[in-house]
Amino acid sequence: MQKFQQEYNMIISQKKILIIDYKSGNLFSVNQALTNIGLNVLISSDADDIASADAIVLPGVGAFGDAMKNLHNLNLVLPIKQAVESGKPFLGICLGLQLLFTESEEFGYTKGLDLVKGKVKRFNLNNSEGESRKIPQIAWNKINRINDNTWNNTPLQDIEDGEFMYFVHSFYVEPEEPVGLSETNYDGQNYVSSIQKENIFACQFHPEKSAHEGLQIYKTWASINNLI
Amino acid sequence: MKTIRIIPRLDIKGPNLVKGIHLEGLRVLGKPEDFARYYYENGADELFFQDTVASLYDRNSLHDIITKTAKEIFIPLTVGGGLRTIDDIKNVLRAGADKVAINTAAIKNPQFIREASLKFGSSTIVVAIEAIKGSDGKYLAFTDNGREYSGLEVVSWAKKAEELGAGEIVITSVDKEGTGEGYDIELIKSVSEAVSIPVIAHGGASTPQDIVRAIQFGKADAVTIASILHYSVMQSFDSVSSDYKAEGNTSFLNSGKIPKKITPSSLNEIRAALINAEIPTRI
Amino acid sequence: MKQENLEAYYGLPQEVKFCSKCVTSNQRPTSAIEFKHTKDSKKNTMHLDEHGVCDACRNAETKEAIDWDKREEELLKLLDKHRSKDGSYDCLVPGSGGKDSAFQAHVLKYKYGMHPLTCTWPPILYTDYGYKNFKNWLDSGFDNISFNRNGKTMKLLTKLSIENLFHPFQTFILGQKNLAPKIASKYGISLIFYGENEAEYGNPIADNATSLRDKSYYSYKNLDEIFLGGVSIGELKEKYNVPMNDLLSFLPADAKELEKSDIQVHYLGYYLRWTPQEVYYYAVENTGFHARPFRTQGTYSKYNSIDDKIDDLHYYTTFIKFGIGRATYDASQEIRNKHLTREDGIALVKKFDGEFPDRYFDEVMDYLEIDPNHFRNELTDKFRSPHLWGKNESGIWQLRHNVWGGGLND
Repeated sequence: MQKFQQEYNMIISQKKILIIDYKSGNLFSVNQALTNIGLNVLISSDADDIASADAIVLPGVGAFGDAMKNLHNLNLVLPIKQAVESGKPFLGICLGLQLLFTESEEFGYTKGLDLVKGKVKRFNLNNSEGESRKIPQIAWNKINRINDNTWNNTPLQDIEDGEFMYFVHSFYVEPEEPVGLSETNYDGQNYVSSIQKENIFACQFHPEKSAHEGLQIYKTWASINNLI
Repeated sequence: MKTIRIIPRLDIKGPNLVKGIHLEGLRVLGKPEDFARYYYENGADELFFQDTVASLYDRNSLHDIITKTAKEIFIPLTVGGGLRTIDDIKNVLRAGADKVAINTAAIKNPQFIREASLKFGSSTIVVAIEAIKGSDGKYLAFTDNGREYSGLEVVSWAKKAEELGAGEIVITSVDKEGTGEGYDIELIKSVSEAVSIPVIAHGGASTPQDIVRAIQFGKADAVTIASILHYSVMQSFDSVSSDYKAEGNTSFLNSGKIPKKITPSSLNEIRAALINAEIPTRI
Repeated sequence: MKQENLEAYYGLPQEVKFCSKCVTSNQRPTSAIEFKHTKDSKKNTMHLDEHGVCDACRNAETKEAIDWDKREEELLKLLDKHRSKDGSYDCLVPGSGGKDSAFQAHVLKYKYGMHPLTCTWPPILYTDYGYKNFKNWLDSGFDNISFNRNGKTMKLLTKLSIENLFHPFQTFILGQKNLAPKIASKYGISLIFYGENEAEYGNPIADNATSLRDKSYYSYKNLDEIFLGGVSIGELKEKYNVPMNDLLSFLPADAKELEKSDIQVHYLGYYLRWTPQEVYYYAVENTGFHARPFRTQGTYSKYNSIDDKIDDLHYYTTFIKFGIGRATYDASQEIRNKHLTREDGIALVKKFDGEFPDRYFDEVMDYLEIDPNHFRNELTDKFRSPHLWGKNESGIWQLRHNVWGGGLND
């Protein structure tokens, strides 16, 4: 079925979307979602494939430190940076958002890709009322516009302000540049839940697990980047 | 904001969706793919598939239904039942599951939790605990659908599972499961207060109010529900005419009855009850 | 060793064959007249037809073709004839509040408007959850007569039936079966309802007044024709000093008592489509029935026959005598009811059949004053039929044939 889908897509969309496989997490769902909306998807950890792709997707679940180690071991750091610098559409999901940042608090400051200035921090064990916080956040939560900024011309343009998306994470990003697109509140902690920086769009939540609204984000991302 | 998740739980035997009481019995209610699709279209937050006879064969045989589901249904899917090795987990995730639930394998070898969470990520590993109340009031952990006593006490086992890297706990009251007698609030609360990872409550819901209580008093972070949802769904579509030639006793299906003490409730009715009680949930 | 040269005890068939649909074998005894049961008795066993299908499976197939509406009409006619107008007892339901009797009594009273009296021959040793089920049953609305028999005699007879016949359950079977007509007679009730069992063979009525009188112990010309625990009445009197009076509760009713009565014994399973698992669900929902809080040893199930501690041992003895354990019985029934596939059944038998029931074993041995070692060794081995059992290279007893073809001689 997969092969047929891919061949069919070749006819309607020649664009090649590459999902980077760096051994951090299950790629099945992201692959399934992007294929489902009609994109021509390839999974690879090969630098040439990254260079020749029309768009890049960096997914991921798990530990920041291990992920960075894998990226280095697989020689993916440079190809990723080059892909971003080349201006091609870049989509980061969950860990794929966090890795773009300067450094993470996990296990005492681990360096990230530094494509976006800022830190990755852990949710506090206690909320502001002193109650124990459940970590990771595994829940649907609202994404809200930051300061009434518009979502036009972003992958969120067809999404309502305050829509629910599915989150699974123990860490969140704290940008030091004005790249925040949506913010979310988990048990009293406000944090940036998606960013847009030039050709990068990255989200803490999982659109491929967020039902129809999530799929819509992928559809919009694909259409505003002329991938479909 | 902290939202509560509502997770329909499907117990699957071979090609059929089944429903027992005290995790016992294989009453056929219909085809799992039909129910899964219905729940997705009606706003379920996640889905939970349990292979009910997997521990009998030491393997999980849900791959087909997992893949079918993952192709059309874009909400998280957790799969449990008979997952004994790292390969078992890998295969189920590859088939399309997002999370796995382990019980027997974790109790037999607790290091398995650590191994699995390091390899697949903590949030992928859910530890399932089946609790039966002993005559002295202590909650004891069982395996194999509430059949074999593990020798462990529920709360201390839950804490250990968290230490070893579990991302979530799903706590089942075997005593209440399928009875419609309401949740065991004391059980849920004791587990939820003992760990700082999310706790999913399972077993005994009869009405949406029971779910409200499980969250307000039991401090559950999510609920996984079978009876009240399935019996409600059955009122909406025809399960009887599906193909049961391969296996499955359909006496109940053909009877058109609803079990007493169960108030068939839809996802919307449950959400409405949560919202009324000012419990945040996805709308 | 050639199969034909191996002795087959109990008149069991020489060749061991398994049903091609369920997991039972041709070694399974069908009916037995318990008080003619001696160590020399030859068993009637399950018949497998030319396709290898056992009678019980064939019977299950015929259930599909039955017009259950018509059968229910027959039941209604029967009940209408007997339903009391003044609220006095009009039917008797023997049982102990297990899923079957719970269902029977409840359905007769609350669905069909009858006025049942329940009667119980109590378990030899109650389990605590079994007793709770019994109480919950009565709490759901039933009068009950429990006959607490002479414990001294019961212990003796149970002990003898184990020593002589390796049959711990004989006293229970005798007592339970014989109690109902006596109670019915004393209370002037003419309808007795059992559940399913022999209805499998298409019998609506088990016994009527005449046949009951024929079975009265007085109809035995020579009391030496009656055996309890494998010992004749005469020998019980002389050798064991048990007076006749102490044996009466184990024997069928007095003919004189039955004379005035017009009792009929029926099976609800003839009139109502009986799915044991649905009966379980019904009992949970209506009579406060709870399954056992752990798996029954020797099988996978949790809700069949769970109120007597000696029950588990009984099924162990069937495993020794016939090569058929509790998992085989349970799985075969569930296969016939389409809850399990044959493949599931085989896996269950492989996993659980013949598991030694150590949970209550010591307590039972203690109660009956039997040396546990004697039981586990000499006694058990005495009853292993050579055509079923052999020793493997490590000197451990193994079945020569089993349903998955992994026996010593398979």
